[in-house]
Amino acid sequence: MKKKASPLKQQPMMSPPMARPRFNPETLRRWAVQMGALLALLLLVGYLSLASPHFLTPGNIANVARQTAVTTILAAGQTFVILSGGIDLSVAATAGLSASVAAVLMTSQVWILGVPIGPVPFGVGMIIAMLVGLLVGLLNGLIITKGRIPDFIATLGTLTTMRGIALLVTGGLPVPSHLTATELRGYLPPELIWMGAGDVFGIPVAGLIALGVIVVGWCILRYTAFGRAIYAVGGNREAARVSGINIDRTKIMVYMLSGLLAALAGMVLTGRLNSANALMGEGEELRSIAATVIGGANLFGGQGSLLGTLIGALVIGVLGNGLNLLNVSAFWQRVIQGLVIIGVVIFDQWRRRRFGA
Amino acid sequence: MAEERRLLLRMEQIDKRFPGVHALDHVDFDLYEGEIHVLLGENGAGKSTLMKILSGAISRDSGRIWIGGREGLVEVSDLTPERTRALGIGMVYQELSLVPYLSVAENIFLGGLPRTRWGAVDWAQTYHRAWQRLQDLGVSIDPRAQVRELSVAEQQLTEIARVLESHPRILVLDEPTSALSDTERTRLFELIRRLRDRGVGIIYISHRLAEIPLIGDRVTVLRDGKRIATLPVTEVDEDRLIQMVVGRKLTEQYPWRNNVRGEALLRVENLSLPGVLRNVSFTLHEGEIVGVFGLMGAGQNELARALCGLEPRYTGRIFIANQLIHLRHPWDAIRQGVGLLPRDRRDGLVPLLPIPPNITLGQLCLGSPFRILNLRQEIQIANTYVERLHIHPPILNRPVFYLSGGNQQKVVLARWLCSNVRLLVLDDPTRGIDVGAKAEVFTLMEELSQRGVGILFVSSEMEELLAMANRILVLRQGQISAEYQRGEATEEDLLRSASYEKSNGGSR
Ligand SMILES: Nc1ncnc2c1ncn2[C@@H]1O[C@H](COP(=O)(O)OP(=O)(O)OP(=O)(O)O)[C@@H](O)[C@H]1O
Ligand SMILES: [Mg+2]
Repeated sequence: MKKKASPLKQQPMMSPPMARPRFNPETLRRWAVQMGALLALLLLVGYLSLASPHFLTPGNIANVARQTAVTTILAAGQTFVILSGGIDLSVAATAGLSASVAAVLMTSQVWILGVPIGPVPFGVGMIIAMLVGLLVGLLNGLIITKGRIPDFIATLGTLTTMRGIALLVTGGLPVPSHLTATELRGYLPPELIWMGAGDVFGIPVAGLIALGVIVVGWCILRYTAFGRAIYAVGGNREAARVSGINIDRTKIMVYMLSGLLAALAGMVLTGRLNSANALMGEGEELRSIAATVIGGANLFGGQGSLLGTLIGALVIGVLGNGLNLLNVSAFWQRVIQGLVIIGVVIFDQWRRRRFGA
Repeated sequence: MAEERRLLLRMEQIDKRFPGVHALDHVDFDLYEGEIHVLLGENGAGKSTLMKILSGAISRDSGRIWIGGREGLVEVSDLTPERTRALGIGMVYQELSLVPYLSVAENIFLGGLPRTRWGAVDWAQTYHRAWQRLQDLGVSIDPRAQVRELSVAEQQLTEIARVLESHPRILVLDEPTSALSDTERTRLFELIRRLRDRGVGIIYISHRLAEIPLIGDRVTVLRDGKRIATLPVTEVDEDRLIQMVVGRKLTEQYPWRNNVRGEALLRVENLSLPGVLRNVSFTLHEGEIVGVFGLMGAGQNELARALCGLEPRYTGRIFIANQLIHLRHPWDAIRQGVGLLPRDRRDGLVPLLPIPPNITLGQLCLGSPFRILNLRQEIQIANTYVERLHIHPPILNRPVFYLSGGNQQKVVLARWLCSNVRLLVLDDPTRGIDVGAKAEVFTLMEELSQRGVGILFVSSEMEELLAMANRILVLRQGQISAEYQRGEATEEDLLRSASYEKSNGGSR
């Protein structure tokens, strides 16, 4: 008897792998996943263009882009974390801390261990902010993986801690304040202001930065081993472990990325406001989570996309802007924003159950 | 005999479509009192879908269902899981549905724990009754143990015990034996026959054709969502069944086995794990398939896990290609070229990712996390295995979550077949896989061994071991109790060496 090839191979398969059309039902279905948020966004834009003559003006659009930029950058980091099955409540606090530290160093001279430092130029300030962000992320990651503390608790802890440290660093004053502004150089570097409030060819720089973050992040998620590992860890931890993926390292890297983006967001915000303060961006952590969830991500991990998150951030940003234009009172704004978040997510859940996601 | 039997269930022209798949194409099915009706078909044929429609877990597109009661058949239109439970339908799903963080007893009585007079949970009663239920199945599992600590086989038995607790009149068992070894299976069959004799109607799904003459009364074959035939078991033989299932003749289940044997590849010395393995030593050569057989809990699964870095607390020495290695994490093993197909397949897949990333998941840890993935090559690999293992439907961008149970297994299997492993540890590779794909799995194993890959083949299917392995190691209570060369042993030999009551002083 000679080595027999399996009889199965000799015959054509019963159902040959059907010629796969480029556009199969699955592609449609995946588009539908983002539909909830997209629909909300389109409705919102449509309504506001009719309701307010100011909404579709170039000035206002730039304004929306600038306001949404910070939420988008934070939400991008949050999306990485949520995809990996975690949650990062400390993003806004990290933004505040890194911006505060950088702002203090850029506007005044401080003595550290007897060495006078600062005022540092923009580039150095930027690097310092990023390092602070990475450090907080590393801390979060280590507490969660090595200390085996749930993500929610760990980042809640760092949230408070980082706000405290930021208050210590700034003395509770805005930076630059009337105190520091008189010393030495005293003012924030113009590049920073440009980052937050300037534009190129009429396009807000902050918006471009946010867009860049989304594009780069999307590539990381789709094309790198790290991005794939995030989906695996968030989608099924056991499978990731058995497949040899270093879960701890992946999680730590994800939190560091989130910290890094938080620092970037903090700098953009500082530029826009022309000042940093320890408590800046309060509430942004929840908005970043909301944007991610509106964008179709699963809070248990493993499912979601940065494209969805961008749409989610826009929904929140456009809504806030529109309510301002329509002179809705600040109290009602909160109520409406909350209801919209709930509404979009309910619609999303219903659609997934109905059509399968 | 047939004239007195009453119909318990009639399903007529059941039709169901999923996006891109016609899962059930006007299928008829019925079940009599005191009958065991076997449902057979390839992976993805629609067996589980039909049963989920019966249990109300998913809704049908069209078709009618009648269920027999005291007043004869009654048509039911809206089936929900609550409704079907009230109608006396008990369902053991293919995917286990236990709550991992609750105890065995709590799972068995989920939702209806025995109460004391004061309305508090009667724990003594709960544990006692759970213990009895499990005894009926012939297993001793501690009712207080948490479910997530149990082996797959034990979980499967717990699940069965839970469904039996509701005293169903119609019992559906969707691949209940896929994780069980022969002994547990025999006990389960005895129980099923007892239930049948009490008039319970049983629908039984399995890919193990050898089981069918043992317990089936009638058999229905599905293929591509269509009913091919319904016949009394006495009128069919295995070849005929295979032909109906795969739609063509299938002569050879097992490939011709080569006896190439190269250098020593894996050497295990005095491998021990507290309470599970004791001083296990053996050598595996390049191109060799070494079978491992043992009863439930004999340590074969832990042996496989230890070799893949999943049991970091082992003692003893493991050499790969004459080099001492420490296996503390799965990536230690994978970087040494060791691949593991784990026993618990839920540990294998990332459900929301599509087929290609799931197949290449094992290669993710090789190299820097910042490297760029070769998505095109990934799709190519996926296409190859989708075709060879008949993974159906072959839609490469849909989450594997939507594949049928057996097709999911094939995806996990493909992961290790495609990687460049030197040593492959397969724990029950054919579990849940249909006959056609099984033959292909064996052919692939043979191809790998020709290329010099060593395979440690753990299985509870003695027939497979005898056909495929160059050598078979038998484990008993964590120790190697016998070793057989190819062709030396029979199933009786394996069973005798595996069970404890002792012949030649193997006492502890
Ligand atoms: N929720 C779903 N969405 C889309 N397709 C589905 C869904 N559930 C099942 N299918 C498809 O329906 C078909 C029948 O699946 P089913 O689970 O009934 O197969 P099966 O006969 O039980 O196979 P196996 O032996 O592998 O368990 C398969 O092609 C499967 O991919
Ligand atoms: Mg099935």
